[in-house]
Amino acid sequence: MTNSVSRREFLNLLGAYGGSSAVLSAGAALGLMPVASQAAEISLSSQSSNGKSVAILGTGISALVTAWELTKAGYNCTVLEASHRAGGRIFTVRSGTVIDEIGNYQRCDWDDEPHLYFNAGAARIPSIHNSVLSYCKELGVELQVFANESKTGWVQDDAMNGGKPVRNTDYSSSMTGFISEMLAKSLNAEEMDSSLTESESETLLGMLRSFGDLDEDMLYRGSIRAGYRSGGFLDHGTKKDVIALRDLLKTRLANNVMTTTQEGTGSGPLLMQPVGGMDRIIYAFANRLGARIEFRSPVTAVMVNNNGVEVAYEQEGVPKSLKVDYCFNCIPSHLMSGIPNNFPMEYIEALNYIRRGKAYKAAFQAKERFWEKENIYGGISWINAPIRQIWYPPHGIHKEKGVVLSAYNFGGANFTEMTQEQRIESFISSGEKIHPNYRQMVEKPITIAWHRMNHMLGCAPRWSRSRGGWSEHEEQMYTTLRQPVNGRHYLIGDQSTQHSAWMESAIQSAHYALADFDQRVRTEEA
Amino acid sequence: MKNFIILTALFFSSHFTSVINAANVGLPADMSDRYCTTCHGAEGVGNIAVQAPRLAGMEGWYLQRQLENFREGIRGIHTDDIQGIAMQAMAAKLTEASIADIVSWVGAWEFVAADVTIEGNVNRGRTAYQICASCHGANAEGNEALGAPALAGQNDWYLLTQINNFRAGIRGTHQDDSFGVQMRTMSATLRDDQAIINVVSYINTLQK
Repeated sequence: MTNSVSRREFLNLLGAYGGSSAVLSAGAALGLMPVASQAAEISLSSQSSNGKSVAILGTGISALVTAWELTKAGYNCTVLEASHRAGGRIFTVRSGTVIDEIGNYQRCDWDDEPHLYFNAGAARIPSIHNSVLSYCKELGVELQVFANESKTGWVQDDAMNGGKPVRNTDYSSSMTGFISEMLAKSLNAEEMDSSLTESESETLLGMLRSFGDLDEDMLYRGSIRAGYRSGGFLDHGTKKDVIALRDLLKTRLANNVMTTTQEGTGSGPLLMQPVGGMDRIIYAFANRLGARIEFRSPVTAVMVNNNGVEVAYEQEGVPKSLKVDYCFNCIPSHLMSGIPNNFPMEYIEALNYIRRGKAYKAAFQAKERFWEKENIYGGISWINAPIRQIWYPPHGIHKEKGVVLSAYNFGGANFTEMTQEQRIESFISSGEKIHPNYRQMVEKPITIAWHRMNHMLGCAPRWSRSRGGWSEHEEQMYTTLRQPVNGRHYLIGDQSTQHSAWMESAIQSAHYALADFDQRVRTEEA
Repeated sequence: MKNFIILTALFFSSHFTSVINAANVGLPADMSDRYCTTCHGAEGVGNIAVQAPRLAGMEGWYLQRQLENFREGIRGIHTDDIQGIAMQAMAAKLTEASIADIVSWVGAWEFVAADVTIEGNVNRGRTAYQICASCHGANAEGNEALGAPALAGQNDWYLLTQINNFRAGIRGTHQDDSFGVQMRTMSATLRDDQAIINVVSYINTLQK
């Protein structure tokens, strides 16, 4: 097995993907501002609220934001929630939590300790999600840093290294080294010489040497970035062996391992979480809204007319109804399809089109914080198995126990169709390929199959059916759903955004609807 | 000072409890198994987005038999029956009492015929339906004595899926599902996809 990659091999590969012209013509990106910060705050007219009533359907974060902003502006709000709890897919499991999965009811009986919790839905707040952060600040939700990556975490694939796990840092240092080496080789080619000035070439080569920790010959021969094999403190450290490129390429986990720390779309090395669980944000809203939220009140019909909206719902099996001036609705589109309404045909077509996302998670209380004995204090291990990931809690360091995320597959459903016992065996048998004592460490496991959760039946909504992006028809339906029905009924939530699965998107959908609403009521008043 | 500490502790603990309660009312101890409407829609109208059929108007004896079939793993275990598998997991936990409760609850919902979503050749469908009529009735009103449920008013997309499931052996192959086995044989008389669309289109014209 050779460790090096020939220049010819690499250039052939580059040619297959269209060469380097795309990279070299990218100068236009320089000088652009970072992603423009969206306005994190919204200011509604309190002059227009006089006596007006609003029904808010659901208690996902878009609904709570809407209810909170409207309440502050003086509107008379009623929030209807079908289940026993607020928050939708913002759901934290701790001692006593009921997991209301249809056909798999669970009650969590972990030790009652503040650090023993598990964010079963939303779990990470990126530093560019201004609206989420702004509400945390406004509502006094204490945040702490969440480590999204640990270089001491593991990468495991049955096809690589005889199935034995390798440290993230061993994997990523080698991969970075080889990528740098290959680019440096290609930079010496005539094709590149004609495209870059001498000075640009020198800068690029210098960066590649540093980026990949290449030697004087611009070759990767291992790096202390992977840690020392021995020594390093009292004695000189000795480098570990290099993992051959061909071995690195035996797993496709590189897609995850090498991209965990890219900030742009929401992931990043430094993220945040509320101290005590993501649902602290939900509690902060719910506490302020108080009795305006009515629990166990499933909506049974939504009828929009010229003067307002009539919402039928049930409480303890008793039919009730509300007549309101306006309605903001974050009920998942696939559940609205089963609730009688008089929406226009094209609106219903769009609602029926959005697919319910598949995702599952699992967690357990660990008898001991075994990962800390392996120099892991947070971050993720990646596994080529249906469970995909293991997350180690960055909070509660050095305490006796901790809660480990033992499965997180975003997009898969195979776990969903297993029994509880099969799910648990699945995550244990995968996890023990990384941690030999894993099975003994598992205490009181729980699983969350979002496709089966009562009043949810899905994870993040999926709009586009093609990997190539949104079709014109999909864009059209999206536009339809963003327009209020009769100027009275607004669909909100991450289903009304083009970047689902983030709290920030859901909040921005609420702000978008509220801005439109505010404009309308101001015009009516004028 | 000691009193102050106790008072402070009390304040914080009660504050914490109220914060929790505001977002979570908890579940009643005697939680029932009335989960139906999450998937099957408000008052069981059916939900095309999750492919859950109409329950409102379904005969109690048929509903009971299907719940029992799901519970016993007679139905909903074929790997290609995604919706059936979800239903099977739900039904597996049902007791006799909760099945009776569900049947009575569903029986209270008003029957409203489902929207038409499938259009085919009604005339050809009428001809093909004559075989179906011997069990399901001339107006697809069902026949308890023969164990055949009403078809009129049911979601047409659901009828289509089930006929296809019978034809493909996804449903009606379990030895304890005698009516299903019978239906599997009968479904073979529908030669192709268009024939199924036609017969469902004809059922759409019938009034329960």
